[in-house]
Amino acid sequence: MDALVCKGITKVYGGREVLKDVDLTLEEGKIYGLIGRNGAGKTTLLSILSAQNPATAGSVTLDGQRVWENQRALGDICFAREIPVAGEGSTSLGALKVGEYLKTAALYYPRWDGEMARRLIRDFELDPRRKLGRLSKGMLSMVTIVVALASKARFTLLDEPVAGLDVVMREEFYRLLLEEYGESGRSFVVSTHILEEASAVFEEVILLKEGRVLLKENTADLLERACRVSGLEEKVNRAVEGLETHHGESAGRRRSVTVLLRPGERIPQDPELSVQPMTLQNLFVALCGREEQTAPPEGRKG
Amino acid sequence: MNESLTQEKSIYLQICEMIETDILRGILLEEERVPSTNELAKSYAINPATAAKGINLLAGEGILYKKRGIGMFVAAGAKERILQRRRSAFYDNYIRKLLREAESIGLDPEQVIRMIRENEAQNKEERDGRTGM
Repeated sequence: MDALVCKGITKVYGGREVLKDVDLTLEEGKIYGLIGRNGAGKTTLLSILSAQNPATAGSVTLDGQRVWENQRALGDICFAREIPVAGEGSTSLGALKVGEYLKTAALYYPRWDGEMARRLIRDFELDPRRKLGRLSKGMLSMVTIVVALASKARFTLLDEPVAGLDVVMREEFYRLLLEEYGESGRSFVVSTHILEEASAVFEEVILLKEGRVLLKENTADLLERACRVSGLEEKVNRAVEGLETHHGESAGRRRSVTVLLRPGERIPQDPELSVQPMTLQNLFVALCGREEQTAPPEGRKG
Repeated sequence: MNESLTQEKSIYLQICEMIETDILRGILLEEERVPSTNELAKSYAINPATAAKGINLLAGEGILYKKRGIGMFVAAGAKERILQRRRSAFYDNYIRKLLREAESIGLDPEQVIRMIRENEAQNKEERDGRTGM
C-alpha cells in the first residue's frame, strides 16, 4: 500500500469551492505532472496532500496512515513552493540567509542530504550568506529546488518549480530531477504551465479543471489516443460521430475538432481528412480552453 | 545520438529509431553497450519509463540483448536486421503515403512511376555530366 491517497477532498475558501470531491492515488516511484489553468486548484491540492493546509472535507493518507499532524508521514512528504519573502509580518522569510533557510529545512526531513544541498548550492552559484529577500525570482526557485531534491522525501511535491527560471536552468532542473528519480525511485509531483518541455518528463499527467480531476493518465497513452481532425465540415462531422470530441472550431466550410479515442475506436481513413497528432499543450488548450468558437461562414462570391 | 525529439510522435518510438539509426551509421557497434534507460532519460529529459519502453521494444525484436547486471548490448546481426525491417516498412511508410497524396491530387500510379523514372534519368545525366568533366 505504498501510496499517497486522497479521498473526497473538498476545500472551501470564503464560500468558494476550490477543490470538489477530489480522489487521487499517487504511487511510489513515479513522476506526475499536475496541470491546470490558473485558479484550477493545483497549489491548494498540493498543500492539502502535504498537510500544510487542512481540507474542508475528505482525507489524505500515506501507506494507510492519516497525514494530518502525523510527524512520521510528514517527514516523507516534501512540499516545495515559492518562498514567501515579500509581505509583512512573521510569514516573511526575507531576512533569513540562504544557508539558514536550508538548515531549517534540514530539521523537517529525517533523510535530508546535506551533501547534496551543498553541491546544488554550488552548482547553482547561490551564495549561502545572501538574504532570501535579496534573491531574484529565479534564485528563489533554485533554493526551492534544492530543498525539494535534498529532502529525499518519498513524495516530493513541487509547485511551479520552474516559474522563475530561464530556459537553460529549466532544462537543468529537469535533468537533475530525472537523475535523482533514476537513482532513488522517489515520487515527484510537479506543477507547471510550461508544458512543451515537461510533457516527456511526466510518466502520468493529472489535469485539474475548476477544482476537479478531469483526467489522470499515462502521458504517452493519453497523447496516443488524442488527435485533431480537420477538413470539410460534413466529412469531419461524419468521421467523429459518436466519438469524444472537444474544442470544435469552424471557419467557413472547414471544421477542426479534437478527438479523444476510447479503446477500439478509430478515425475512418479518408484522404480528404487531416488527422494530426497532438502535443500535451495543444490537448490542454482543447480541454481547458474556451468552448466552441464559431466564425460566421464566409459567403463565397462567384 | 543527441538528436532532438519532436512532440508530434511517440517518444519511445523516436528513441527506438535513434538507436537504430545510430547502429546503421556505425555510431553504435554490434556487441557494444547502449546507454542505460537512466542515461537516456537524463540526456533527452524524458521519463525513464519511456526510455525503457523503447529499449524493451528493440530487445523484443532482437536488435538489443541484455547482459545481466551490465546492461543492454547491440546484438550481432542487428544492423542487417534493421535494414531488412526498414526495407519492408518502406512500403507502408513511404509508398502508401505517396500514392494517397497522388490520388488526392488526381495523379494515377502510372504517372507516379513515370516521374520516378524521369527522376532517375535526370540523376543519371547529372552523374554522367559530373564524371565527364
